[in-house]
Amino acid sequence: MRRRSARPFFFFPLLLLLLLPSPARPGADAYLAELKGTAERRHLQDDRYWDILLFYKRAAGGRKSLVDDPKFFLSPDGKRDPGAELSATLDAMFDLSPAPPVRCRFPARYEWLKETLQIDTARLPAQECPEFDNTLRAINPKSASLIFAAGHMNAPASMFGHTFLRLDSAYASPLLSYAVNYAATINPKDSGIAYAFKGIFGFYPGYYSILPYYTKVREYAAMDQRDLWEYRTNLTETEVRRMALHIIEMQGVYMDYYFLDENCSFDLLFLLEAARPSVTLTDRHNGIFVTPIDTLRSVLAAGLIDNVVFRPSTARTIRRKAGEAGEVEVGMAKSLAYGDVEPSTVLDGPLPPQEKARVLDLAAEFTQYLYLKKEIPKDPYQVRYLRILAARSTVGGSPPESRPLPVPAPPESGHLVSRASLAGGARDGDSFLEIAYRPAYHSLEDPAEGFNDGSQIVFSEAAVRWYPGDETVRLQRWDLIDIVSLSPRDDFFRPVSWKVQTGFATREFPDGVESLVYEVNPGGGFAWKVPSLGIVSVLAETDLAVSGRYDRSYAFGMGGSAGIARQVSGRWGVLARARYVYGVLGDTERGRRFTGSLSLPFRLSRNRSLVLEGEHEEAPSVHAGTIRITWNAYF
Amino acid sequence: MKKLLTMVAVLSLIVAGSAMAAGNTNTGCGLGTVVFKDTQNRTTLVQIVEATTNGTSSNQTFGISSGTSECTQPKSNVQNERLNEFVQANLDELARDISAGKGETLSTVAELMGVPSGQRDAFNSNLQAHFHQIFPAPGVEFAHVVDTIVSVSNQG
Repeated sequence: MRRRSARPFFFFPLLLLLLLPSPARPGADAYLAELKGTAERRHLQDDRYWDILLFYKRAAGGRKSLVDDPKFFLSPDGKRDPGAELSATLDAMFDLSPAPPVRCRFPARYEWLKETLQIDTARLPAQECPEFDNTLRAINPKSASLIFAAGHMNAPASMFGHTFLRLDSAYASPLLSYAVNYAATINPKDSGIAYAFKGIFGFYPGYYSILPYYTKVREYAAMDQRDLWEYRTNLTETEVRRMALHIIEMQGVYMDYYFLDENCSFDLLFLLEAARPSVTLTDRHNGIFVTPIDTLRSVLAAGLIDNVVFRPSTARTIRRKAGEAGEVEVGMAKSLAYGDVEPSTVLDGPLPPQEKARVLDLAAEFTQYLYLKKEIPKDPYQVRYLRILAARSTVGGSPPESRPLPVPAPPESGHLVSRASLAGGARDGDSFLEIAYRPAYHSLEDPAEGFNDGSQIVFSEAAVRWYPGDETVRLQRWDLIDIVSLSPRDDFFRPVSWKVQTGFATREFPDGVESLVYEVNPGGGFAWKVPSLGIVSVLAETDLAVSGRYDRSYAFGMGGSAGIARQVSGRWGVLARARYVYGVLGDTERGRRFTGSLSLPFRLSRNRSLVLEGEHEEAPSVHAGTIRITWNAYF
Repeated sequence: MKKLLTMVAVLSLIVAGSAMAAGNTNTGCGLGTVVFKDTQNRTTLVQIVEATTNGTSSNQTFGISSGTSECTQPKSNVQNERLNEFVQANLDELARDISAGKGETLSTVAELMGVPSGQRDAFNSNLQAHFHQIFPAPGVEFAHVVDTIVSVSNQG
């Protein structure tokens, strides 16, 4: 490694060195030729590990690396020519120019070639890498975990969840581990459409980064209110070290980032393959999407996981603590956090010490939450937070916890996300059969285990219906997007619930004519968890329907909906919905519409379910009832 | 000749780049600097990562300290960089754990200080009893926190 202070003195000879051919050491040329010969004889350029380290995948006319950054390759043809890259790497090992030695730039490649070819390092130029050695010493990798951050229901971008790796050191505290994250570097100036376009077509560079794990815990669990699942792998220390070397050599190297498949989740699998090349993880995917849950499943299926630890979000912890406290105590904690009362009033009050501790603990946690959410500015936060803590420190001990925090079903226990459905039913006495398919992801009537309560995200679900009576087959509906996010409000958290749905749907017009219309239906409102009813929601909605059959070709209505979603038992659920929209623009007469429905989903197994459904629709000259039974298979 | 000119141009760019990097080595005493300490040829990415991590810890979420990217090092514990870095980045959580006498952040500090597991309870309640000394006022500097934790534990 060059020393910074020495650079000016080296500058001129350095220039000369680059202009002259590197002076070979005696015997070095012969040794290099010998190594190249061995590598060729053993077809090392076709070795699976070389493919893994260089991200080579089969492509038209041979193999091609998924890495797009030219500085990742030592040979100008490296992206498409594994042999040329291997040969250039060996060349570089003998390179005497002052560029950083190969061991510093590509430690995983260096180590693998050294071991595989049994290279005598004494015959190589010095490979001194203080910077790399320091990094590796700081990380001190001993074992590794795969971390799954559950989706946050109110942020559509996070609904699929997120995965990253964690390198665990000799420390017992996981907070001292390092997180390895793969993410796109996004231009914040890009508009939503540019963002989606660039994301889907790979215009953003993706980078691996290494961060202290506590920053990720803060980001996910404290700020974003997302639960973390920590899957401890059974990778050995040797395997984890190999992976760490590969992670270090990938620092600052970009790959084009594709939201749908070459994404945050998928690209972590390469790192796991670098740790244990005997498992194949990156060849398996063959769908349009690779979601974090797919990644997690393939890692579980490969037998890489030993156990899992649940790290609840701050919101879950606060709700839990609030649930253990009495109503008065919860009220006091809130008043403290909002600065309405001073901690001394709690200390001087009549509560027993344990309850004082409980109130102050809850208040402190909620105060910090409000600060992280920027609901209170820094100056009052500093004063208030420290006063609460100072008061808390005078009450020794801690409040008793009656039972440990209940752990929800882990994400991999949920149903698979593609769904095919067969349904039979009748509309106004005319019986029909229906088939439907959607590639992703989860709807409210699907088995709830392993998913967030009250959240639905459906992409591109199409249904075709056949009425044997009139021998017609028609596209019944095609939902491009149908997202519902019902987030219950409580004493501490006041989230907004919302929905957005758009796609083609069949609507009935007067005289029994049915026609496909294009609809856009957003809504926003509130939801609460009512013990006896489940999640109760009330949303204000607008409804735009476009079709040549409307006067002026569209109908725009405003109205609202109310619903109840309840999981009655592990198997049965109940969904009741009523919605009324009043026409205000365009075809105001036919924009008026009421629908009421009741569905009873029944879970047959993890990947099979039945849904019984009844719906009633009222619109000008339309009074129709539909009953339907649907069989769903998830795969 | 053209080639030589290009080479010289590229080289001067590299030298200029390194000089700029040299002027920029101290992005703060924050988190990223431990992993990427003493790096001489940092890529832009690493700089970004460091800037981001520092940003996350001090500006957005780092509430109870004076909040500037303070580089005053604690007196008593200069050798334990890991402890300094951890306390600085987790000051709010640590304050909460010390006030309650338990928690993951506090046990991490105990581990970094090498407190044997049999003495952890005593360590925790000792710090809890000295909360006012460790966190005397809003805007406390992390160096003071580390120094006081060390001296209080040595007395206790």
